[in-house]
Amino acid sequence: MQRRSKTSIGDRLVNGSAYAIATLFALFCLIPFWMVIIGSFTDESSLRAEGFKLIPSKLSLYAYEFLLRGGQVYRSYLVTIETTVIGTLAAVLISAMFAYVLAHRKIKYKNALSFLTYFTMLFGSGLVGFYILVVNWLHLKDTLWALILPYLLNPFNTFVLVSFFRTVPYELNEAATVDGSGEWRTFFRIILPITTPVLATTTLLYALQYWNDWWLALLFVDDYTLHPLQIMIRQLISNMNAAAYIQGASTGQLQQIPAYGVQLATVCVTIGPIVLLYPFLQRYFVKGLTIGSVKG
Amino acid sequence: MALPGLLFLLVFAYLPMVGHVIAFKKFSVSKGIWGSEWNGFNNFKFFFGSDDWIRVTLNTIGLNALFLVFGLGLAVILSIALNEIHARLFKKLAQSIIFLPYFVSWLVVSLMVFGLLNSTNGMINHELQSLHIGAIDWYSTPAYWPVILTVISIWKFAGYNSIIFLAAISGISDELYESARIDGANRLQQIFYITFPLLRPTLVILTLLAVGRIFYGDFGMIYGIVGENSLLYPTTDVIDTFTFRALRGLGDFGMASSVALYQSIMGLLTILLFNGLVKKYDPESRLF
Repeated sequence: MQRRSKTSIGDRLVNGSAYAIATLFALFCLIPFWMVIIGSFTDESSLRAEGFKLIPSKLSLYAYEFLLRGGQVYRSYLVTIETTVIGTLAAVLISAMFAYVLAHRKIKYKNALSFLTYFTMLFGSGLVGFYILVVNWLHLKDTLWALILPYLLNPFNTFVLVSFFRTVPYELNEAATVDGSGEWRTFFRIILPITTPVLATTTLLYALQYWNDWWLALLFVDDYTLHPLQIMIRQLISNMNAAAYIQGASTGQLQQIPAYGVQLATVCVTIGPIVLLYPFLQRYFVKGLTIGSVKG
Repeated sequence: MALPGLLFLLVFAYLPMVGHVIAFKKFSVSKGIWGSEWNGFNNFKFFFGSDDWIRVTLNTIGLNALFLVFGLGLAVILSIALNEIHARLFKKLAQSIIFLPYFVSWLVVSLMVFGLLNSTNGMINHELQSLHIGAIDWYSTPAYWPVILTVISIWKFAGYNSIIFLAAISGISDELYESARIDGANRLQQIFYITFPLLRPTLVILTLLAVGRIFYGDFGMIYGIVGENSLLYPTTDVIDTFTFRALRGLGDFGMASSVALYQSIMGLLTILLFNGLVKKYDPESRLF
């Protein structure tokens, strides 16, 4: 007891600073979120008069009413959900199959494949070639495919999968082969079921990429019926004629638009699913990061 | 089984590399890549002849260096702080909160930044005014932006990186700390002589990965937050935003692709150089 109290002054200081650092940084991270969320529920006129505040003087749901009455938010939600669901499923399947081959012991050309994959991380293809490929060669401008295809295989995610597949004992593979299972059957029935943690992580990484992407839409989508949520936010920030955009051409009467409120409400609607699912998803991310940080 | 993946790589990663040829062409869309006339090094002359190339190169490297040093530095401090906290619930809550910014897009961030900084009703300007300092016109003063962008980068990535470091810390054997305690080391000494040195390999790997991409600006971040605000270009325009504007704004395929080729080559050279250096001094941490 005596010794503990003697050393505890310095230790208590360490303890105190640790709590202070963590608390301050957490607040720093949280404030912008709070500002946006509470701002979306703030009355537009008080937003304009008093600016963005942490505790607004007058609350209002008008921004949401305005946003949800128009057609664009539903269209954009649908586009985002479609790209995210289709893209993520396809990307996980393709990456997992590719990674399985890269991790396979019996395949001779796997080093060549690994190099081909790795080299794309070292030497970029450049924006221009990519743009011409999608627009002029594949003719994908203003299609949903332009938002899905370019992200189907991420080399980094693939290598995370490879390093995980390598930890699966090869005996499982051999046993399956002896029992007459082909490679496909082994992959879907044996390998995938026992690698669900890393598959979950990969799924989340891809889903996040699709959900948050706006670069592809910025490059390849001009048609407003194909605007994902992220581009909708961008349009609201930069578009002079936001009211018409939100309500769609069909609705004739244009009302007084709560410009800031609608931007903030759209952001909340966009990050809503992430923030709500976040507590459940977080541990998979942490797991995936931990796997990824071990050099593969 | 590798076929779909291989097909993807060939089409979306290797086929576009043909586009680098355009750097040496007088490109016209109607004639296509092979039909367009050769143009020698004229596209490069155009890019390197202006001051733009120095500006965008320095901005790209400078901003990335700031993000790297302050971002990783803060993440290390955070992870050590989190590791010293023993109250389970508090630790978990703090960890969840600092990881949250990683999950939102740059456009969402850009709106947050606008809410904080815009000159008419931004939160920070309101606070400054109530302190009688007077509002600052953030969006037209380029000098502030390297700092602002660094703070934003820390906000978005420090939590993410600190979790990687935390994972590395949790891999450190408890016996080391126990024997240090028996030898009379206090917690600060344990941090400096055990935790920190054992974090070094992870730090080196993350640094290497970041250095390898030092010629690639974060397009989503810069274009999302700064956009087409040309007042801020002197300190915020990076190679990626410059190429994007040359392509989509000016429609100048030739110059855009000469810049892209310059970027790809410089990127490759940097990673080879640094990997070579690391191989020499710390072979364990090399990338390949």
